[in-house]
Amino acid sequence: MKTLDRRGFLKTSAGAGVMTLAAPTIVRAADFPERNIKVIIPTREGGGADRNFRAFAEVWKDKLGTDFEPGFFPGASGRVGYEVYMGKEEPDCYSLIFGNMGPEVLNWAMQEPSNFSVDDYFYFGRVDVDPGCLFVGAESGLQTMDDIIAAGKERKLNVGTSRMAHPASIGLLALGEATGAQFNLIPLSGGKNTVAGAVTGEVDFSVLTSGSVIAAGDAVKTLLVFGENRVGEALDNAPSMNDAFGTNLPEMLSSRAFAIHRKAAEDYPDRFAKLQESFKATFEDPRLLESYVSLGGTPEYLSYGGVEECAEFMQAMLELGAKYKPLLTGA
Amino acid sequence: MGETATILTEVFFETIAYWWVIVPTIFLGLIVGGIPGFSAANTIIILMPLTLAMDLETGIVFMVSLYCAARMGAGIPAILVNIPGTAGAAATPLDGYPMAKAGKGQQALSISFVASCIGGLLTTIIALATMPILARVGFYMHSVEMIVVMLFGISLIASIAAQDLLKGLIAGFFGLMIGSIGTDVVYATPRGTMGFLELYDGVPLIPALVGLFAVSEAFIIIEKRVIISEDAEPKHPNWHDTIEGVGIALKRWWHIVWTSVIGLAIGVVPGAGASIASFVAYQQSRTYSKTPEKYGTGHPEGLIAPESANNGVTSGTLVPLLVLGIPGGATAAIMLVVMQFHGVSFGPALFENQPKVGYGMFMAMAVSYLIMFLTILPLSRYMSHVTTIPTIYLAPLIISFTLVGGFVPREYMFDMYLALCFGVLGYIARRTGYHVAAILIGVILGPLLERYFLLALKKSDGDVFVLFSSTLGNILWVSLFLSLMLPIILKWRRARRNEEVPAE
Amino acid sequence: MKPQKVEKSRQLGAELVIPVMAIAFTLYYFSTIWNSPWTAQVSAFLVGGILLLVCGIFILNCVRMLANREGSLGFSTLVNRDDIRTGRIGFLGATLGFCVLIDHLGFTLTTFLFLLVSMAILGKGRRLAMITGLAAVISVAGWALFIWAFDTRFPRGWFEITMEALLSNG
Repeated sequence: MKTLDRRGFLKTSAGAGVMTLAAPTIVRAADFPERNIKVIIPTREGGGADRNFRAFAEVWKDKLGTDFEPGFFPGASGRVGYEVYMGKEEPDCYSLIFGNMGPEVLNWAMQEPSNFSVDDYFYFGRVDVDPGCLFVGAESGLQTMDDIIAAGKERKLNVGTSRMAHPASIGLLALGEATGAQFNLIPLSGGKNTVAGAVTGEVDFSVLTSGSVIAAGDAVKTLLVFGENRVGEALDNAPSMNDAFGTNLPEMLSSRAFAIHRKAAEDYPDRFAKLQESFKATFEDPRLLESYVSLGGTPEYLSYGGVEECAEFMQAMLELGAKYKPLLTGA
Repeated sequence: MGETATILTEVFFETIAYWWVIVPTIFLGLIVGGIPGFSAANTIIILMPLTLAMDLETGIVFMVSLYCAARMGAGIPAILVNIPGTAGAAATPLDGYPMAKAGKGQQALSISFVASCIGGLLTTIIALATMPILARVGFYMHSVEMIVVMLFGISLIASIAAQDLLKGLIAGFFGLMIGSIGTDVVYATPRGTMGFLELYDGVPLIPALVGLFAVSEAFIIIEKRVIISEDAEPKHPNWHDTIEGVGIALKRWWHIVWTSVIGLAIGVVPGAGASIASFVAYQQSRTYSKTPEKYGTGHPEGLIAPESANNGVTSGTLVPLLVLGIPGGATAAIMLVVMQFHGVSFGPALFENQPKVGYGMFMAMAVSYLIMFLTILPLSRYMSHVTTIPTIYLAPLIISFTLVGGFVPREYMFDMYLALCFGVLGYIARRTGYHVAAILIGVILGPLLERYFLLALKKSDGDVFVLFSSTLGNILWVSLFLSLMLPIILKWRRARRNEEVPAE
Repeated sequence: MKPQKVEKSRQLGAELVIPVMAIAFTLYYFSTIWNSPWTAQVSAFLVGGILLLVCGIFILNCVRMLANREGSLGFSTLVNRDDIRTGRIGFLGATLGFCVLIDHLGFTLTTFLFLLVSMAILGKGRRLAMITGLAAVISVAGWALFIWAFDTRFPRGWFEITMEALLSNG
């Protein structure tokens, strides 16, 4: 794997942030945007990212004064989408990518980078944060965290996850380290199968992004959140891992965000500033909440983040990825 | 119980009142099912704004009847021109297409319609009656058990390859090897991808399917003037053939029943799908048949088995969705999204809180099958005309249709070229005496088998004996062994009887 | 494994194409997993091993048949003069052309040209007017379904762009 120059990476992303925040009052592209903005979505049409994007774009388009055109390029855990965005789209601020900073960046840390470097693009607008959580099937013999820790000290427990390189998997590995319980991660390919695995007893329990767990309703019971439980009852009032076990783990999030070519932001600072401003303004509009709720999102998870918050999160993911790489890739 | 009966009656009449939604949806479903690459799932997604705008009842009726009709529609091109529109219809051409070639396209269509409708209707009723029990099936069918179920389907390679075992095995294992392309399911290591990111998630099924079957076929049929063989008598559309087909199917009602139950049982396991069910049903049907040698030559039972099984899956996937809140397949997953949008919460509480929604889905399915039977059976007489279109027009149409179909599911140009590559492979295989179906079974079932196999091994930390660690699994192993031995024993007994006869 | 009784000698050259492809692919596949974790290897080595074994037996069988003059290394079951006569080679060329040109000319126009050319080749140049009409109707129907109604990502050429402009103005 190509080593990432971390300091250089942070410097450029922070630099881009400062530069563009300073720029808008001086030069302003009065005529941007002249046409629709294309958004690459590296997952399947009809999935969570699709709904999320629609809810957000519904409001953002009025702030920016142009339409967004989504293009879906699923495959290879999101890599196809990023390849298409970096390889085929002009860096002119007329195209963005709407990715997931959690699993997609983590995946990046696991696999050899390809035709472009991870700092050739950067996330500038976070839409939501959705922490991973640990849950059991309604009929499971393990009904509390104490049951799980006790059982995990006696035998290695099989734990379903949607895939190895996922923030929720890291949360579980950290739990194992903190408690001494033994866990064996079983990748069940996708949220649907991960829920099914826990419910039907294929695995002892599962870890997953909480949005999908909330959707599973009474079939499952959540015991622990790898981050803050922002929804309370909907996740069975499960405590956060840091509170319950005194750990100091950053939130293990699935976090959707818009990203842009670094070159585009550097070459067209005025355009980029307009994107940023209107993105931020979208969060101030009460219609966003309505739109988000009407498309089935969890409103508590809406959370604005700018260039710096995104860079910080991405960096944390890359570091955790590097730390746990041997366990997650079998290398 | 009386209360349930009242609800059911009410729901039945309410559903019938939606005939004006069901009838057009059936035609839409037949079309999208018939075009390779389209399916109920991606049609519901494309029409999502419309689906979300409908009220809950209309939405349910629309999605369910689209699902059933698309499943049935996929069988039509599979029978007539050897293009299975979805992986679930991959076993349909094995006997359906030879029938069409022999001039019995109309009968074949009727058989498939009857098998689909009765199989679908029956399994819907069984599912409705035994839902709480059926939902438990998923609790016992874990990766170890599914390995054995997959092996039932894969063992078809050996039976298909009967005439030349060595070549059949080469074709089957080559298919399995091609099916292994893509990242491994545990650690996501890319394997055999030739550097194409498009192959990281494995070989996409539709391009493989249409390439191997249809593209290669298009290059073969141009030798002939029309698809149906010259000695089949020319016919005008008539009722007689349709009714004959219905008769052939009805006479084998027991066959429809048990193969559709196989579909139902596999359909209720979350994650297992129509392709597994149709191959397993075909393999079982062949094993217990008195005339296994007729399979693959246009044998009605070889057409009934996969068609009634894949419609059995359709009802099966609703069970885990409704009872556990776990969608059994892609279409069920989309239904879940749409219904959650309407505030329906699935899972154990559904039948207490909104019993009409739960029963309504099954009722919509039952009513769709009823209406479908009445509306499309008369059409089979016109559809079968496809086989009399001169091949100089038909072959280019098949090519353009299938290349387009290869493209549609993921919308990558790469997939179109891939369909062509599979076409070339299929053509070479056909011309040199290798079974295309054996390759295809490998490509479709190989990755599924590997997934279950690796999960089982990962769960046991690499201990191979995990394969024999469950009671149900061991019962399945024994029955797999028996079903492989049975044909050999039967053949031996028949041979001995034949020897005895002249001796008397 | 009994060799089939053959009246004329078997064209083993053609029959060896698939096994040779299979062996080449399997070896390539093995090369990609040589240094991978066991999960990537276990089933591939199992399946690939059996495949290499059966291919090996088949090749040995062929060698034996060649030695006994029961077969030849010919390819005539795969490619022969008939392929030119029936227009199969031309049809294949048209298909390849379709795949190459679609990116440049767009979906509708390429489909039209492909249908026209391949039907003309297979029909040996007869009934050209009818073929042209048929190709035009089908490609426009394809455009209506895939581009206009379902808005798939097929390559857009001048036809699609013109139609889009026309529809948005009208």
